[in-house]
Amino acid sequence: MFDTALFPLTWRVTRHRLVASPLVLAAGLAFPAVVVWVGMRDCYETAAKLFFFLFPHVFLIAAQDMVRTDIDGGALENVLFLGGRFRRYLWAKNFVLAGAGGAYVLLLFALFSTWGLALGEFRPVHAAQFGLGLLAGFYYIGLAGALSYFLKAGSNTLVLLLTQSAAVIALLFSATSRTGFLDYAASGRFPGLASKLLFGGLVAVLPNVIVSGRLAAFGAEVLAGLALSLFVQHRLALALELNK
Amino acid sequence: MIEAHRLSKRFGPVQALKDVSFKIRKATITAMLGENGAGKTTTLKIVLGFLRPDSGTVLVAPGRVGYVPDRPAYFTWLDGRTILGLADGPANGNGKDPGARILAAAGGLLFDPALLRRRPGSYSAGNAKKFAYLQNLVARPDLLVVDEPFAALDPPSIKRVRDLFLELRDAGTTLLLSSHMLAEMERIADGFIVLRGGTAIAHAGIKEWRLLRSARTAPDLESVFLRLTGF
Repeated sequence: MFDTALFPLTWRVTRHRLVASPLVLAAGLAFPAVVVWVGMRDCYETAAKLFFFLFPHVFLIAAQDMVRTDIDGGALENVLFLGGRFRRYLWAKNFVLAGAGGAYVLLLFALFSTWGLALGEFRPVHAAQFGLGLLAGFYYIGLAGALSYFLKAGSNTLVLLLTQSAAVIALLFSATSRTGFLDYAASGRFPGLASKLLFGGLVAVLPNVIVSGRLAAFGAEVLAGLALSLFVQHRLALALELNK
Repeated sequence: MIEAHRLSKRFGPVQALKDVSFKIRKATITAMLGENGAGKTTTLKIVLGFLRPDSGTVLVAPGRVGYVPDRPAYFTWLDGRTILGLADGPANGNGKDPGARILAAAGGLLFDPALLRRRPGSYSAGNAKKFAYLQNLVARPDLLVVDEPFAALDPPSIKRVRDLFLELRDAGTTLLLSSHMLAEMERIADGFIVLRGGTAIAHAGIKEWRLLRSARTAPDLESVFLRLTGF
């Protein structure tokens, strides 16, 4: 399934798709603008929290509509993808998107860190948070890619965003001064198995929370989720046939 | 060039192919004939690797394979020139603009090169078909598989494509064509495979067909086809 000769082709197709998508362009430009605005209005540390928490969503937005439209639109029934090459193309998309998204957020991180260094507020832990955020971003690509085998257009990303919204709303309603889940999450301490499992469930749909780096186990959960989603995608691609 | 052995394929309750076998020699034009739903496109897609047979095998000799679908579809956000650039080079996607080669091929197909600045989704059906041929000519295939080769083409373009097939064959390319246009197929094909209900009911190679055509009382292909398919 790993065909390095396909990377240039996949990169060119993916680059054109990303540039042609108003949503991806808007999200990609609005995100750093909001972070800078917050940093100017409040402080660098607040902007840093926002940056590290939100940048994995760059990968989620970029992963919209990864597979289904290509299949249904008939574009894969092309001389470019003969001999089962369409399967390897779909598989290569994961790595190309991860590379493209990674390069973009690395550029943002470099600019953001330069800003922090100039202010004297950059801390080494930011580098670790960036690494964890990258892991969350790669997980989004794996998960959204697997969903995209079943969901049309950008609904793979939309489903994840709606699930995240529901999870966050549920979290807010669960917060109390004594036993609220939000309180556990804020403190990083989860008394009892049930609250740990609940937080594990939250990490599965909103992996961004691991940038806080409270519990390494949840980082490992995202890593396992990434491996599982890629395995599922691999199986789906192998079973895929083009019969429009 | 192609050797298919006992291909079978089922889509749910529909047995699309059943024990289909055939051989196609290098540098020949073979026409695959059959009624609607006979299994022609399924067979082509198995040969091309878009579908997997439930049983049976297909062997295709090493070399570059080209494919022109019945109704070509493309990535909607790419223009014609970019798509042709993706097809160029032995590894695909090396980004070089074939330039003069594209222009020469476009002229041969009566395809206006100015259209390359537009997205193929905006082309007429005929131009989309010609663009699919152009994409394959850029890739210079050793085997060219074409589903409904003359669909949506105007008469001058049909003649150009027919001549193109003969030129390609003479240059050593093997062609497998699936078509309902029996008169056109009779003019250019060296051999025939006739499918009915997912089964190959006749397979005439180049020798048999030459023999048949040399006979004074030889019927035309339409008569043979209609007799074979029971009409």
